[in-house]
Amino acid sequence: MTLSRSPSPHPGGGWSSPGFIPASGTTSPRGRSPRSLSPGTPGDISWAAAKAKSEEVRGYPSFSTRNSGFFSRQRHKISTRFSRFRKLSPREYVDKDDYGRDWKRAGGGRSMLGALRIPIRRGRFRLLFALFLMWIGYLFFWASIVQTYRGSPIGGGNKFVIILGSNVEGGVMEWKGAREWAIERNSIWNKKRYANKWGYDVELANMLAKKRYSHEWRESWEKGDVIREAMSKYPDAEWFWWLDLNTWVMEYGTSLQHHIFNDLESHVYRDINAYNPLNLTHPLPEFWLDDLGRALEGDGKGDSLNMLLTQDCAGFNLGSFFVRRSAWTERLLDIWWDPVMYEQMHMEWEHKEQDALQYVYQSQPWVRSGVGFLPQRSINSFPPGACGEGDNPVVHYQQNAHDFVVNMAGCMFGRDCWSEIYYYRELSNWLGRSGWERFRDGLGDVYDRMTGKPPKDD
Amino acid sequence: MQFALPPRRSPHTLPLSRSSRMSSYRRKQLKSAAVLAFAILSLIYLVRYLYPSASPSVAAPVGTSGVVIVTLLDRQRFSESYLKKIVANREDYAKRHGYTNFFASVSDYGDAVGDAPMSWAVAPATRHAMATYPSAAYFFHLATNALIMNPTKSLESHILEKGRLEDLMMKDVPIVPPDSIIKTFAHQKENDVDLILTQDSEDLNPGSLILKNGEFARFFLDVWFDPLYRNYNFAKAETHGLDHIMQWHPTVIARTALVPQRILGSYSSDSPGASLDGTYKDGDFVIQFRGCVDTQGRDCAHELEPYYKLWEKKRQSD
Repeated sequence: MTLSRSPSPHPGGGWSSPGFIPASGTTSPRGRSPRSLSPGTPGDISWAAAKAKSEEVRGYPSFSTRNSGFFSRQRHKISTRFSRFRKLSPREYVDKDDYGRDWKRAGGGRSMLGALRIPIRRGRFRLLFALFLMWIGYLFFWASIVQTYRGSPIGGGNKFVIILGSNVEGGVMEWKGAREWAIERNSIWNKKRYANKWGYDVELANMLAKKRYSHEWRESWEKGDVIREAMSKYPDAEWFWWLDLNTWVMEYGTSLQHHIFNDLESHVYRDINAYNPLNLTHPLPEFWLDDLGRALEGDGKGDSLNMLLTQDCAGFNLGSFFVRRSAWTERLLDIWWDPVMYEQMHMEWEHKEQDALQYVYQSQPWVRSGVGFLPQRSINSFPPGACGEGDNPVVHYQQNAHDFVVNMAGCMFGRDCWSEIYYYRELSNWLGRSGWERFRDGLGDVYDRMTGKPPKDD
Repeated sequence: MQFALPPRRSPHTLPLSRSSRMSSYRRKQLKSAAVLAFAILSLIYLVRYLYPSASPSVAAPVGTSGVVIVTLLDRQRFSESYLKKIVANREDYAKRHGYTNFFASVSDYGDAVGDAPMSWAVAPATRHAMATYPSAAYFFHLATNALIMNPTKSLESHILEKGRLEDLMMKDVPIVPPDSIIKTFAHQKENDVDLILTQDSEDLNPGSLILKNGEFARFFLDVWFDPLYRNYNFAKAETHGLDHIMQWHPTVIARTALVPQRILGSYSSDSPGASLDGTYKDGDFVIQFRGCVDTQGRDCAHELEPYYKLWEKKRQSD
């Protein structure tokens, strides 16, 4: 057995019996099936053929050790095809006066051919099979491979964690009805789908009303605790994206890296005067502050951005914001709630932690240099009904611009959260149709027009 | 059949084949070299990606050195002659050790402090010193009612030197004596310290504190000086404000070290409320005449006089 498995010295195949011309294996011309080697041929000639045959019977191709590689198979094929163009008979290699051996050798060549023939076919079949497998693999595993890559440190997805505040006031303040459950289920599904696609993590923050917080008058400041917990739970993550439950990620195809973080400085404005609904004094005028404290745009470096916020028509909005893991953020989360401040301001801070943040931003200069503002529609578009009915292009969701996230802010006050969520869910699906679906819809439209039906309103 | 050129094994093919073998060998070498180079490059990339350069340190910016002594001159409550002595005391100390003096007039911060007691001016004044000397490493605030009694001690050798602070730090003790449930961190290292304070028998003592330049210093001073604290009518104004911050905000304690009172601010024997072993003894670094301004029947200038004479004698003898 060891003999039959010994490798041929020539790439591309061919048993080299002693005295063979080096190229004979690869340049053997037109193939013939091994059947042509009938038992009538002289025994010593068909040694190779017999070998080939026995190999065939055994059910695996000869020379498999040599031809297993994809490239060697291809090269082999190319060389065999090339020999066809040369139109050479095997005889040309043989000395004339050695006629007796001549045809024998030719036969040997043929038998060689026969031996080669099968690997070629099988190779082709195998190639197809491999392609088929790859296609299947692509269909089944490509998405997960991509996700794994995106979630890995190289893909950068593990740098982001989405924190979704769920179960708001659940359990104590009110019973959740079918709609509340539906909102919760859908919103979680939405964030998970988005995060899975880009390899981010989703952390569900249970905002259950806890005695602890009401006892300490800290309701709705739990955000800070939740963010801190998430930070210790995901030690590799850098940015933490807080999202309220009543939000909808509209564009699954937009990664955070591409949308904001690859070029952070260009998306952020630090000078609040660019959009200043609260009319805050900026920069601070105090003569005893240093340049950084009085700076219009902080230190101007992207590294010092530790919190990314949006402002709506009434000021800061914490429905959707980012914080970066840093000493700055720890300090902010620490200082955000303070009993002395709370005691004096709880009547005025109608929006609780949001107002408290506004206050801290306003009164403590160190905060300003770490905060960057994003245009509202980049992560926090409002539906009509929040901040005015009309289409304020600064505030309200723009379908044509494919806004990233919608925040149904204030939908629990006199609006219908579930129907808004449902509307944006369907809109998001419709906007994110695949090419085929678009084509089909287009055809449907054309058909409707030709048959005179009024077009459907989506 | 005629064949033009029968192939032959001629000796000529040998060098050719050898050369081709050589080249294939070369090629293999090159290939492996390329693979190796690629592997190394991608490894470097991976390492750099996974372990990005150390996060910017929270410590003072690079290139900072020196100490700035911050002294508030309150011309409304202290006489001009008293202040002159204090200034002389600070200038002598700064000259000995190459420090810089920052004398701030309290009245400059009247607008900032607003309706609150003017003792709050310590926060904006220190911030002002930071703005004026951005490359200084430390800011040493010493209250107007304090006198440096042992000017030969430099801050470095006395407190700041490596290993020295580690010995001095009081770990796991109540922040606000005697029995605050919030205690200084037991596992704190001197490298984590940005603020050095002492406490007396009741409170922390902001009358003499050392603050390291950097992010933390800005954060701490801004928080301390928050308008809602100033307006809260703490009985002891900024002192209670400091007590409050320390007890409620772990990010502040995490960077704070308490040292025994006599290291940084011994009380004169006339001042009430010194901690256990907090009263001035000969050779101590600093003496504070705490409460000499506000308390009825006490006179700062009068209390200062014997110690000032002592200090002058010491200065001349050195």
